[in-house]
Amino acid sequence: MAEPFVRFTVTDDFRRSRLTVFFRLLLAIPHFVWWVLWSIAAALAAIANWFATLVTGRPPSALHRFLTAYIRYSTHLFAYVNLAANPYPAFTPAQGYPVDVEFGELERQRRWVTALRLFLAVPALLLAAVFEGSGFGAWSGYEGDEKSFAWGGGGVLLVAAVLGWFVSVVRGRMPFGFRDVVVYGLRYLAELASYLFVLTERYPNVDPVATPVSAQSDHPVRLTVADDLRRSRLTVFFRLLLALPHFVWFLLWSIAVFFAAFVTWIATLITGRPPQALHRFLSAYVRYSTHLSAYVALTANPFPGFTGAAGSYPVDPELPPPDRQHRLVTGFRLFLALPALVVSGALSGLLFVSAFLGWFASLALGRMPRSLREAQAYALRYSAQVSSYVLLVTDRYAFSAPVLEAPEQLPGPEPPPGETPAVA
Amino acid sequence: MPDDLVLPEVDPASGIGAGVVEEAEEFESFLRWSFIASQLAALAVLVVYARRGTRFIRESAAGRIGTGMLLGMLGLALVWLSQLPFQLLELWWLRRHDVWKAGYLDWFVERWALLAAEFLFICLWLLITMALAARFRSSWWLPAVPVFAGLALLFAFLYPYLVVDQRAAPLELKRDVARFAERQDTEPVKVVVEETSELTSAPNAYATGLGPSRRIFLWDTLLDGRFDDGQVRVVLAHELAHHAREHIWKGIAWLALLLLPLLGGVAWLTARRGGLYQPRAVPLALLALVAGSLLLSPLDNAVSRELEAEADWIALETTRDPAAARALFRDFTREALEDPTPPHWAYQALATHPSIAKRIAMATAWERRKR
Repeated sequence: MAEPFVRFTVTDDFRRSRLTVFFRLLLAIPHFVWWVLWSIAAALAAIANWFATLVTGRPPSALHRFLTAYIRYSTHLFAYVNLAANPYPAFTPAQGYPVDVEFGELERQRRWVTALRLFLAVPALLLAAVFEGSGFGAWSGYEGDEKSFAWGGGGVLLVAAVLGWFVSVVRGRMPFGFRDVVVYGLRYLAELASYLFVLTERYPNVDPVATPVSAQSDHPVRLTVADDLRRSRLTVFFRLLLALPHFVWFLLWSIAVFFAAFVTWIATLITGRPPQALHRFLSAYVRYSTHLSAYVALTANPFPGFTGAAGSYPVDPELPPPDRQHRLVTGFRLFLALPALVVSGALSGLLFVSAFLGWFASLALGRMPRSLREAQAYALRYSAQVSSYVLLVTDRYAFSAPVLEAPEQLPGPEPPPGETPAVA
Repeated sequence: MPDDLVLPEVDPASGIGAGVVEEAEEFESFLRWSFIASQLAALAVLVVYARRGTRFIRESAAGRIGTGMLLGMLGLALVWLSQLPFQLLELWWLRRHDVWKAGYLDWFVERWALLAAEFLFICLWLLITMALAARFRSSWWLPAVPVFAGLALLFAFLYPYLVVDQRAAPLELKRDVARFAERQDTEPVKVVVEETSELTSAPNAYATGLGPSRRIFLWDTLLDGRFDDGQVRVVLAHELAHHAREHIWKGIAWLALLLLPLLGGVAWLTARRGGLYQPRAVPLALLALVAGSLLLSPLDNAVSRELEAEADWIALETTRDPAAARALFRDFTREALEDPTPPHWAYQALATHPSIAKRIAMATAWERRKR
């Protein structure tokens, strides 16, 4: 497998200075001023680089150096702002920052890919909007006679950074999961910038597996993906309409789940363990909703069953049996779930945009691109963990790092001995 | 309607104009042939699907009924695709003659919405039939008939509440209905106006609902000034007659009767694939259902024409205004380009209402009897 053009290294130890976290945005103001100036220069350099690469088939080395330095500096700055790293970054892109990026050597590029670069980058720009949270419009109703629109908000980076800010101010540590989500977003944005600036023609990879995460997961809710990426064009074309009977069934089932979850909550508060029958019922619902989401979002191909049976679908959450749960955590479950629900909402943007892009790709190729499928699997895994937490299937908090299953070995530092890592 | 009623010969062009009649004939002829071609295309698609559709079973991870639903929906999706060129052609034709006003985008969105409704319908149909097939095996169609008749009753009851763009009718129309209800010896029925004028210029009205949900819906295209009060009163009396003579109940009874051979035929044909218990029988069932419906439609339309003719007669008895009735039917040709004398075969196979010529003749026949 070819070495990626953009290589991230993460040596951050999760420790955060409460004082600098509290004033993080204000402290970054000088950097923002510098970054804007540099961005203007980078935009001009990118145009020059595009012309030069179009003519010679290879970026000039001076422009390559300048633009990679700009991307590295931006990565440092936004790692700092989004709390993925602690130290105040340098104004020059010095190596050795805790969240750092390396670039490959100059490489030849096909001229037609260079010529169409902006057009080809549109799908990647849509995905970038999910991370940045700046590209989504949501109709919010009428004001007088005029429609009003709410823009922005809900970007994955922003959500992870805001939630991480509160935890860091209180505990002096950034949660593993949130830090890794930010790194995931920064890596993707760095790859996109390299592509847009014509430094490489390798397309940005949204596969979360390409992100160097430092936290391993032993979460009891896992996602098994046994999908072969093949897609039936006919069912892809009509996918949303084909899911209509499922939407009706899901709605009816959700009503029953509302009452079942309430009874389970009361029972778990009293006995410290969810009743087996209700746990089974709620687990089936979590599985079913994951199967349905996977079908609608094109994460999997076959039409799902209506019962949420375990092992019946290529994208299937593994759920734990009923176990003891902390009464305190049970009592405040909905309140505690709010941050996870916010993250899940942000990740649903990733699921939606991947589904939108995957629809075109699957129609054209009869296959779902692996990177999109993996990004969706990550969002679905997180969503299943949040649902399991809310519906009392487990009292383990959802784990937001972009990992699909517990990996054997992952790069990155071990947490300091004797300390319990904050995991979110 | 008197048994000895003999309709006099009438000149369809009289009072309408030969040019308009010619245009109406051309207009309907195009739509007729387009309809026939589209039905042949749908049947061809379904024949191929009946032979090869079972391969889509591999696209399902659902159980027996879920897989059946998927196959049913995919069959309808393919038919939908095959119909698009014909429907596009018809839309162009309707717009060319100023009968349809909405744009191509609106039409396309509407097509998708209709397909969604068809998907939900076929899923419900398969849920019921495949569940019954699990219990009754090859005799599933016998209990299915009362179930579907019951659902038709439920739908007929609920339909008035499902119409989105409706508003209360003007007071004078309500008074007219109350007066006509007395003459027809029935309870007054609520009159509502359905707003369709943004989509079409064609006039229309219909009676729907059962018991407390009984309604008469008038399209607002009937009230835009092209039809005078006398003509609108004929429409009201006609629609009220459908309620007074329990035509909706009778229509559902006829539906139940027609369902017996239709569903029996589906059960017989699908038996070779293990019956509707098996999802692999669904593509064939779809073909049988559509082909059977087409075969039975002349009978269904004949019943419909009888009921409409009866409503026309009662409307004449109620309004006692044959001149207004004749003017109304002539305006149907002028405004909606309805062919006053369609070819005999087309009339027998496709027409749900008596032809304009027959309706004008009935008004004249009523007038002569009352002299």
